[in-house]
Amino acid sequence: MKLKLASLAAALLFASPGYLSAQEKGGVINVATIGEPPTLDPMTSTADLVGIVTQHMFETLYTFDKKWTVTPLLAEALPEIGADGKTMTIKLRQGIKFHDGTDMDSADVVASLNRWVKLASRGKQAGNFIASITATDPSTVTIALKHPYAPLASLLAFNNSAAIIIPSEKQADTMAEFVGTGPYMLKERKADQYIQLVRYDGYTARSEASDGYGGARHAYLDEIRFVPVPDANTRVESAVSGQYDYVDALPVESFDKLKGAAATQPIVLKPFGYPVFVFNTAEGSAKNVEVRKAIRQALSMEDMLAAAFGSTDFYGLEGNIYPASFSWSTDAGVEGNYNVANPEGAKAAAAAAGYKGEPVRILTSRQYEFHYKMAQVAAEYLKLAGFNVDLQVVDWATLTQRRAEKGLWDIYITHSPFLPEPALIGSLSTTAPGWWDTPERKAAVDAFTAEVDPAKRVALWADVQKVIYGDVPFIKIGNFNAVGSISNKLQGVDPAPWPYFWNASIKK
Amino acid sequence: MIRYILQRIAGMIVVMFIVVTIVFVIVRVTPGDPAAVMLGPDATPQDIAELRTRLGLDKSIFVQYFLYVAQLLKGDLGNSIFLNMPVSAALMERAEPTFFLTVFSLSIACVIALPIGIYAAYRRGSFIDQASTLLAMLAASIPSFWLGLILMQVFAVRQQWFPVSGYGGPDAAFLDRMYHLTLPAVALGLVSSALILRFTRASMLDVLGDDYIRTARAKGVVERRVVLKHALKNALIPILTVVGLTAAVLISGAVVTETVFGLPGVGNLVVSAVLRRDYPVIQGALLVIAGLYVLINFAIDMLYLLVDPRVRY
Repeated sequence: MKLKLASLAAALLFASPGYLSAQEKGGVINVATIGEPPTLDPMTSTADLVGIVTQHMFETLYTFDKKWTVTPLLAEALPEIGADGKTMTIKLRQGIKFHDGTDMDSADVVASLNRWVKLASRGKQAGNFIASITATDPSTVTIALKHPYAPLASLLAFNNSAAIIIPSEKQADTMAEFVGTGPYMLKERKADQYIQLVRYDGYTARSEASDGYGGARHAYLDEIRFVPVPDANTRVESAVSGQYDYVDALPVESFDKLKGAAATQPIVLKPFGYPVFVFNTAEGSAKNVEVRKAIRQALSMEDMLAAAFGSTDFYGLEGNIYPASFSWSTDAGVEGNYNVANPEGAKAAAAAAGYKGEPVRILTSRQYEFHYKMAQVAAEYLKLAGFNVDLQVVDWATLTQRRAEKGLWDIYITHSPFLPEPALIGSLSTTAPGWWDTPERKAAVDAFTAEVDPAKRVALWADVQKVIYGDVPFIKIGNFNAVGSISNKLQGVDPAPWPYFWNASIKK
Repeated sequence: MIRYILQRIAGMIVVMFIVVTIVFVIVRVTPGDPAAVMLGPDATPQDIAELRTRLGLDKSIFVQYFLYVAQLLKGDLGNSIFLNMPVSAALMERAEPTFFLTVFSLSIACVIALPIGIYAAYRRGSFIDQASTLLAMLAASIPSFWLGLILMQVFAVRQQWFPVSGYGGPDAAFLDRMYHLTLPAVALGLVSSALILRFTRASMLDVLGDDYIRTARAKGVVERRVVLKHALKNALIPILTVVGLTAAVLISGAVVTETVFGLPGVGNLVVSAVLRRDYPVIQGALLVIAGLYVLINFAIDMLYLLVDPRVRY
């Protein structure tokens, strides 16, 4: 018995993030972020920054563990899927209290999911498949689907455009009160100055060991303050001086400087995501798939990544849309179509495709300097291949507006973290800028989203990737890492695409 | 006199109306969409269109303009799209750091510039005069944000005497906030001191050669009194003008310096609002800034009356 208890204690100790040696409650941390989030309602925005801050205040029914598998959070267990794949039964945890002291029950969940379907981009995406959301009893919710829709659990787990659960009486379209169930609650927001979260003492953590975003969430810190520091250089200097306990989104060039700092150390998420060149498949010079293939043939992904990130410590050359650490990783369609860097061959291919010197308008922004650097390299390769390149450098707000207009661009540059569920990739949708809509896309994507068997879905994703390489709606350039910094006195923080600070504590 | 003041007020109203119109048009014809920024990168075109409708951005520019002017006439600057609060409240919140930064940096500028400028004029051609001229040229040539970055590197990162950025946390006391303002205030103060120093020196040189100064000296007035009372009082008008205009520039937000030091002031608010395309905040902030300029110019003209009895309107 004693041996069993000792083993259990040891297992719990080592299962916790950062080997939680003597984690104690107390302390305030300051987290420097890239700016002020546009809203604190994570249903209504897909911005990563909104998710980073609000995931401490609000919770979803499900979340993701370290392996990016869906795991329950406010739900008791993973959903029970009906035999026909058209019903999802969700058992809720008991004894969960909102920050206002009221109990969470199925009425809150139904109201919140209906708000999500009405207001959230990802909710609307799911709403096309949802027939009804009903409370079966106070602790059970049933979602009836029109057709089987495998990504639903992942959509319910995502932290931006998120299916957060809020009290049924606080469901206004414009959120005025920020009442969730998370381990931290909002105390004060002074826009452009700080967002102050304080520990919610009524929080009930899950009993399982912490595992990524899943498992137990322990609120050791008294307060977390998110401070917007939009200037990248100021964030670097703040990190080096140790002014902030955690600094998000630092330029990779600062890595050596951070390594030499006394108060802080770099934290690297490897890999974080991938830069993408999205094509306008509806209008313009890239409408012709053969021209898109010629453009891809001309480009050197290696040179673009080197220009953008400097060292292979910060990027990886990989054509598979998902890296090896994800079960989705496959090389289907990649061979011969990635990092070809053959402008001469591209010139001939473009001519054969009927390209006659029409402008190739590349839309990019210096908000993300690596986008701009890649655009410059791409422009030179494309010129060598005889393309008439029109590089348009605009600010991010202009880019997001222009990319919605079919007549204004041919390629726009963006990036994405590796999303846990491929169906969340925006460019797979026919309405996303790029407007990729071919019979091959429909067949592959529909089969993928309808299949509920996880093993079969992995195989079906390979089919989707193959179609992506065949139709070229976008080009993945490679993998890149994210760099942040963490104070030497902070423990329990694991690298994550959306950094979180439950389970973090101050070293005593 | 009263007629002159009424004329000035009428002129100020016309100027403000022109400012409102120009700012409104520039903001609306600038590409970018607040709805797209707010909803994030994965928002669908339908979501963006719905939010534009909710924000009233789907109406024609003329309708939006008339609605905006009607709102202004009721004294309402509108609501920020992003901050979910009235623009006037957002400006009031940002006014504090900007106000203290202005006072702090202007005090530094005056403490440096006035004594050196007066002494340089008094000892024209001396080593101090030449050195001050050189330093003033140097300070005037340095962008304040660059100087700020250097100060940040030396005194915040290496020496760690001051914080790199921010305005203190929720519980920061007044002195802690001033401590956070020290480096940006020194950067702005040093750069601003150049102009004030040059104007002080030039203005003092003008009056020190006048007959009444020679008369005062001939009467045996103590030299200190000649310089600081007789000469300085008459040299003050151009100095006041330049100090006033420097204050106007600073109070309207030292845009880049506030951004570099992460200060939540008016300048930072304007930059953020432009990046987010928060139309009501851009319009409201520029309107208030323009109003401040107009008022400060008016106040300077009124101050002339006090310091120069010859001035009559």
